[in-house]
Amino acid sequence: MSRVLSLLKPYRLSMAAAWGLMLLELAVELVMPILIAKMIDDGIIAGNLNMVIRWGVIMIGLSLFSFAAGITNSFIAARIGQNYGFDIRKKLFEKVQSFSFAQYGHFDTSTLITRMTNDVTQLQNAVFMSLRIMLRAPLMIVFGTAMALYVHFGLSLVLVIVVPVMLVFMMFMMRRGASMFERVQKRLDKVNSVMRENLTGIRLIKAFVRSDHEKSRFQKSSKALMDETIRVIRTFESIVPLLLLVMNGALLLILWLGFVEMQNGTVTTGEIVAIINYAARIIISLSIFTFITIAFARGKASAGRIDEVLNVEQEKLNWVTETYPKDGDLTLENVFFTYPGGTAPVLKDLSMTVKRGEMAAILGGTGSGKSALLSLIPRLYEPDSGIISIGGRDISQMKMDSLRREIGFVPQESHLFTGSIFDNIRWGKKNATEKEIVEAARKAQIHETVAALPDGYHTMIGQKGVTLSGGQKQRLSIARALIRKPDILLLDDSTSALDVKTEVALIDAITEEKCTIIIVTQKISTAEQADRIFMIEDGQVAMSGTHKELSSQNGLYKRLMESQGRKENIHEQTRG
Amino acid sequence: MNRHGANPQPKPKIQNMSGTLKRITGYLLKRKGKLILTIVTVALSSVLALAGPFLIGVAIDNYIASGDEDGLLWLLGGLALVYVSYSGVLFLQNYWMADIAQKTVYELRDDLFQHFHKLPIAFFDKRRHGELMSRVTNDIENISSTLNSSIIQIASGILTLAGSIVVMLYLSPILTVVTLLIIPLMFGGMKWITKRTGPKFKEQQRHLGDLNGFIEEAISSRHIVKMFSREDEMIADFMERNEQLREAGYLAQAYSGFIPKLMNVLNNTSFAFIALAGGILALNGQASVGTIVIFTEYARQFTRPLNDLANQYNTMLSAVAGAERVFDIIDTEETVDGKTGTRHNILGEVIFKDVSFSYEKGKETLSGVTFSASKGETIALIGPTGSGKTTIMNLLARFYEPDSGSIVFDGVDSRNISGASLRGQMGFVLQDTVLFEETVMENIRYGRLNATDEEVVEAARLANAHSFIMKMPDGYAAKLSQEGSGISQGQRQLIAIARAILADPVILILDEATSSIDTITELHIQEALGRLMEGRTSFVIAHRLNTVRRADQVIRLRAGRIEAMGAYEDVVEHHG
Repeated sequence: MSRVLSLLKPYRLSMAAAWGLMLLELAVELVMPILIAKMIDDGIIAGNLNMVIRWGVIMIGLSLFSFAAGITNSFIAARIGQNYGFDIRKKLFEKVQSFSFAQYGHFDTSTLITRMTNDVTQLQNAVFMSLRIMLRAPLMIVFGTAMALYVHFGLSLVLVIVVPVMLVFMMFMMRRGASMFERVQKRLDKVNSVMRENLTGIRLIKAFVRSDHEKSRFQKSSKALMDETIRVIRTFESIVPLLLLVMNGALLLILWLGFVEMQNGTVTTGEIVAIINYAARIIISLSIFTFITIAFARGKASAGRIDEVLNVEQEKLNWVTETYPKDGDLTLENVFFTYPGGTAPVLKDLSMTVKRGEMAAILGGTGSGKSALLSLIPRLYEPDSGIISIGGRDISQMKMDSLRREIGFVPQESHLFTGSIFDNIRWGKKNATEKEIVEAARKAQIHETVAALPDGYHTMIGQKGVTLSGGQKQRLSIARALIRKPDILLLDDSTSALDVKTEVALIDAITEEKCTIIIVTQKISTAEQADRIFMIEDGQVAMSGTHKELSSQNGLYKRLMESQGRKENIHEQTRG
Repeated sequence: MNRHGANPQPKPKIQNMSGTLKRITGYLLKRKGKLILTIVTVALSSVLALAGPFLIGVAIDNYIASGDEDGLLWLLGGLALVYVSYSGVLFLQNYWMADIAQKTVYELRDDLFQHFHKLPIAFFDKRRHGELMSRVTNDIENISSTLNSSIIQIASGILTLAGSIVVMLYLSPILTVVTLLIIPLMFGGMKWITKRTGPKFKEQQRHLGDLNGFIEEAISSRHIVKMFSREDEMIADFMERNEQLREAGYLAQAYSGFIPKLMNVLNNTSFAFIALAGGILALNGQASVGTIVIFTEYARQFTRPLNDLANQYNTMLSAVAGAERVFDIIDTEETVDGKTGTRHNILGEVIFKDVSFSYEKGKETLSGVTFSASKGETIALIGPTGSGKTTIMNLLARFYEPDSGSIVFDGVDSRNISGASLRGQMGFVLQDTVLFEETVMENIRYGRLNATDEEVVEAARLANAHSFIMKMPDGYAAKLSQEGSGISQGQRQLIAIARAILADPVILILDEATSSIDTITELHIQEALGRLMEGRTSFVIAHRLNTVRRADQVIRLRAGRIEAMGAYEDVVEHHG
């Protein structure tokens, strides 16, 4: 069974109640014509005003009763519909949060967003609809057909044949419609994705004056959505005229057959009128049924898309019990790693050890695998083979929480959240006190900058913290990592926008932290402050050692030094 | 509660419904021809819908009962014609309506998108992307689903209503007045309901937008969320918004559900009163029993379009809630951002005259910056983070306007040169590298849309990107993603540099263009860039001094002021 539909289970009772109330309403509705007939026959025609009043009072009373039932139904149905939507969104979001990086790759961000909002709304509408009117139409159809059969069996056979054919036709349309609506949703994804690209890239688009280009790109996706929507609407909206044509044809047939039967004396005028009346009601119900078909087809398409996300298998978390050992060296042994979807390994048989409490610098060419190496340590990705261990304990045997809690990570691209600076630093450690936040900011060399702002730590920063400079963002994201008091601090080239002086002060501050530090950098001036330097070339450690050792060897490190205009003997000078 | 929480939201204001509807109507009227055709077919279908039952009545009374076979066949033939044309007319009105509605939606979406491109960068810096995306998808979809059904229903509702009032007046003016008593009651009830649904619809769309914004942010920052094990907190924050959406949606839906129920009870009450009044009239001999019976039948028909109109009114409210959010953006003043001014071919001379600028009031980012760059010069901007380097780039590109002072290109004030014209002659490598979900080839070609494949490859070669691109499984045809998985940050920068090289600009702006690239690769690029920069004015921000060394002028900024300016030796080495 579809996972998303099974989320309806907790609402079985409430749904039954909603349907029960709907049946009550329906019953009152069916009684009404009898009351009206009574009022006309016994009251108006008989000239008895008392009867009119009596039946009138009963009628108003019953309709108030049905009103109460209807309103209760409305509340219950809205409750179920909204709770259901709420539950789906919750499940979806939880699921997406549990995705591994490789799994994120299966879905584009914009499609995940559409699925969590628009698709849920569609499904919610279908459920709400079913609770409010779904039973009504089929019951009316069954009831109408039964009454017609009761009135005159022969003539009603026409209905008995035509009605099921129409119902089967609608079932067919619902299936077909689901795949059409799925295409509509896909087009919506595309519109969403172009929009998102435009928002994230607005600076670049403006800089290159590509608004017209982007507009035509957007128009293309928007037009595709429009065309597909028109197609599906036209298909579904032509059901009603078609259905009316068939049903009205059936009416003609009944009239003709009625005429023939009447010549034989086997039917009365009144019976023909009654059957035609029932047929008219069935026609109305069938058109309502079309609406339900559309809502369901849409719901089905969206349910399928939601299920696709929910059905992504939780990555196997073999039950591990090991916890993070403090005071241990970090070792990588013969690690191979290929990015999901990549063809060639980024890391090839890489081995290295970083001693506890030491600072290791990682240098290497563009695309040599430095970031990949860092992302394996908090287990954002799993290596293809090889072992990463801390204090001799394999990290794949450690509880994820216990491992990540001890790691402070500063990614290459500083990504800040909508909120205040305070919030952004505290993001690294919930319940951090103000004192801790200021301390972390001080160490990250950003306190003075923040304190100089009119609103200080309460300054709001945008989605990407844009009014801050690149270096300020980097330092905030360093503060966010430092506040965790991590045992291992990973800095992925996250000091690139800092000037030399600030960087030296920063590194002095973090080396006091007594944690193991791995810093990816391009700058020799940063590397020389490390206890050990690893040169990565083509996914392997090409050479390692202290600055002194490496600078005396001929090799990549020396070439790097030269490229930065450095000679071995002048490095002290440029530090200050 | 909201740790990095929701933007402070104003309370939903009382909506200006008629204004919004007028604007939507304005869009609809762009397709006047089809709209008129649709309304004509709606009128036709209303007449044909009445003709059917009427002819059946004639058939039964005049032919079936009397056994007139020829007459019946003729009539059935006529009836068949009515039915066929009825279905045909219905089909046509739906066919045209789908077109009108979806094209309107398309235009609305397009106008919204186009307007985004007219807004200043500052607008995007302050808003959540996902929230803006929601307006393009969720809000517009909301309008879309309403437009399709509402217009036909409203037109046919009004026509049928008018028709039945005419017939009722003809039958009995007194009873008509009694029947019309329902209208004030209905208005009262509708007012009570829509006073509740209207604001809730708005709230619902707002919360949906907020949720959309949160989801977008959560997914685009997934790496940090994982790294910091913040999944649970993200879910908790999500649930807060999810909850708000649920509550708004619940009340909106529940109250909307009142409408058919209210109409139902009003119908029945009104019917009872008509019967009572009719009974009194009949007793006094002021009306025949037959008239009253027919009248009650019409009175029942009268309420159906009323019911439809009431429902449509409510649906319109929900569309208006979405439309207002769309118009909110479209009405946002398109501010400066290079709006003023005309096309102007620049040669490369740039003068900053006493330029001051602040992003937020009270905190000047630049104060009294004056310098000049002659054509072909390379200017390096250095200084601690946050000293105003990127801001100078922003002003050069007219992303922002100076608060005071002026920027002069070849003697022409930048305010007199349109931003688009200015930027069209500049080449940028921005701090945040933006890639599109396109092939590598297209991403580079973004620099000059009409560049040939060979030119793209040549630019990639110059940027030292060619070799890594060729190592990718699909080479230049490899698809990149926004999140840029698979290629490293440094490689992204190489692509961005290739893009700027391809643009062949008069002024080159490099903002930390090589920060993630290793220095050996950088040296190669420097050579290429050096050749490229010849004859072009270039502005370079870099922390690595060797990038700066070749500059003709070095400007050192501190806290928004020029601290030192001159040759590399004087500014840098002097300072140490």
